[in-house]
Amino acid sequence: MRAFFRGVMTLLREIADENAYERHLRAHGRVHSAQEWRVFIDERLARKFAQGKCC
Amino acid sequence: MKKIAGRIVWALISLVAAFFLTAIAVDRGEPVNSFWIVLAAACTYLVGYRFYARFIAAKVMALDDQRATPAERLRDGHDYEPTNKWILFGHHFAAIAGPGPLVGPTLAAQFGYLPSVYWIIIGAVLGGAVQDFVILFCSMRRDGKTLGQMARDEIGKTGGFTALLAVLFIMIILLAVVALVVVNALKGSPWGTFTIAATMPIALFMGVYLRYWRPGKVLECSTVGFVLVMASIFAGQAVANSPVMAPWFTWSATTLALAVIVYGFLSSVLPVWLFLAPRDYLSTFIKLGVVAMLAVGILAVHPVLQLPAFTRFVDGTGPIFAGKVFPFVFITIACGAVSGFHALISSGTTPKMIAREWNAWPVGYGSMLLEGFVAIMALIAACSLQPGVFFAVNSPPGVVGASPAAAVSTISNWGYPVTVADMNALAADAGEKTLFYRTGGAPSLALGMAHIFSSSVGGKKGGGNAFLGFWYHFAIMFEALFILTIIAAGTRVGRFMLQDLLGQAYPSLKHSNWPVVFAASGVVVLAWGYFLYQGVRDPLGGINSLWPLFGIANQLLAAIALCVGTTIFIKMHRARYLWITGVPLAWLVVVTFTAGYQKIFSDQPRVGFLSEASHLQTAIDAGTMAAGKIAEAQGQIFNDRLDAAVCGMFLIMVALILIDSVRVWFRILTGARESKVDEAPFVLSRLQTEEL
Repeated sequence: MRAFFRGVMTLLREIADENAYERHLRAHGRVHSAQEWRVFIDERLARKFAQGKCC
Repeated sequence: MKKIAGRIVWALISLVAAFFLTAIAVDRGEPVNSFWIVLAAACTYLVGYRFYARFIAAKVMALDDQRATPAERLRDGHDYEPTNKWILFGHHFAAIAGPGPLVGPTLAAQFGYLPSVYWIIIGAVLGGAVQDFVILFCSMRRDGKTLGQMARDEIGKTGGFTALLAVLFIMIILLAVVALVVVNALKGSPWGTFTIAATMPIALFMGVYLRYWRPGKVLECSTVGFVLVMASIFAGQAVANSPVMAPWFTWSATTLALAVIVYGFLSSVLPVWLFLAPRDYLSTFIKLGVVAMLAVGILAVHPVLQLPAFTRFVDGTGPIFAGKVFPFVFITIACGAVSGFHALISSGTTPKMIAREWNAWPVGYGSMLLEGFVAIMALIAACSLQPGVFFAVNSPPGVVGASPAAAVSTISNWGYPVTVADMNALAADAGEKTLFYRTGGAPSLALGMAHIFSSSVGGKKGGGNAFLGFWYHFAIMFEALFILTIIAAGTRVGRFMLQDLLGQAYPSLKHSNWPVVFAASGVVVLAWGYFLYQGVRDPLGGINSLWPLFGIANQLLAAIALCVGTTIFIKMHRARYLWITGVPLAWLVVVTFTAGYQKIFSDQPRVGFLSEASHLQTAIDAGTMAAGKIAEAQGQIFNDRLDAAVCGMFLIMVALILIDSVRVWFRILTGARESKVDEAPFVLSRLQTEEL
């Protein structure tokens, strides 16, 4: 049960782009800051919303 | 021993699937419990997943976990990232599940439940899931190329360009038809309109919250947004009951259409972080939550289906949309059975996140089966309504009569009894002034869902249902929220595509300076806005003309995807397995070309666009039309001819790709052309399990 809820939380964090942000920080050896988040999310959203949402 | 036990279990699952599929097909005279359909679908999907999809994965695709995927080879921490298969499954499912599998089955219920159940189950196993899986595989082996890029590389430049154009036009029709669904759900409903209007400032608040107050806290911000949206549903009830405020939010369909058009334009030009992104996060979470709730609700309540297996409207005289069960049930239910739009997702972000090749099996094939299951649940929710109520909600005044008394008389004469008193009581329970003429599918689906939810969590009070109003508006909020997010994202994507297309000739148009952004957004909004306005003004409710156009367009996109898949299979020397993609391709071509031909040329005015135009023109020429109606009729004639031209253009574009594909297949199979597979080279995977 615990593993299930952990899986659900991981999925929610993936959909919320929070996991991707953590990977970004790790990959570039950076620490979280408001400015870092804005740079990351602007780039990510630009790519994300270049594709349509499904019907 | 374990192997034998496994075989016994799968034999039992197969027998259960066969038994319930047969039982619902032959059973007549007694009501069918939705549990039968749930079991038939679940067991068939399990068998299809375990045997058919595995066969395709092993024998045809030859998936190999030793082969490094693009997520591993091109890992960049952004797009390319090896991801746990179940996380990716959820991510991919959230991306493919839209309003289609909810609204399509609801509309198709006018034929009765049986044609839809069979199409959703068989179509998903043999068609939709195969298409999604094959395109995901092809894109994964090509470093995550898009469908358009693969069409150009594998078939030719004509195919690639036509696919790009087709996607743009399909997007325009899609946006118009889903906008129409929202408009029809909210017209004359102060409760619903207030709730949805409140989501706009909530999204802006979330955007600012996430960017300046709590950067990076998306889940926290979405929780705050969810609480505010729930509060807005309660506030909506107070607004609807207020004699002062209710008129402010009681909007006509035309006003709502204009509001949605302005919304589409603003969401295309505003910064993504401010408006679109927070709405997208919120609507995705609510969507997943509601789908889970619906599954639990149906299992808990397992309602009896009230609609018959077949209605009298299989003959093509249906009030919701005209046309016989063949071919129209197959284009009305696209998402949920076969959806071309999924090919865009399967060749988008998903192939760049697959950690191991075999993960494409659950992600590509499995998620489509889950979407099929969502369609089954939507169908059950719609069919659990009394048939008379279902048709009273979904039928336009142009078909059943312009007054409630006329409508119930027409519907009762069809053999589906309903009274004005029944409808008024239901509307009062749902917190609405009326539920007549709520075409588009969303209100009847919301009613069905509300019945299931309120039966699970709720109770009866004073003969009415104490929670029905809340759940009805919760369901309307859920449908409208994510449809409006699709409109916002789709308008933006349409703008990019238009800039990209025009930028081929005028490179300066590719830049994102504000005059270009405003102009391109305006063109895209006007394009789908025109079709929306046309649907709103249509006396037959708009769904009759726009939903079939959307269905045809979506299925034709699936045909393009299956052409690409078939071409790649032939190039991989898998011609003996051609039937895997060839059979669904042939079926889609037959179905969509038949439907397209009928929509253009049928001599019945409610089916054929040209016939309706001719019928109206004849009435004008003969002087039998009232003078006040002539201008409206002339507008309708123009719209009919435009719809016929759009439908014809879709058919021509797909015919071009099909001919181009057949030419390539013929040349490869006869040895006239080299069978070169354009895959990324094999690299041994070094990915460790702990990394996932």
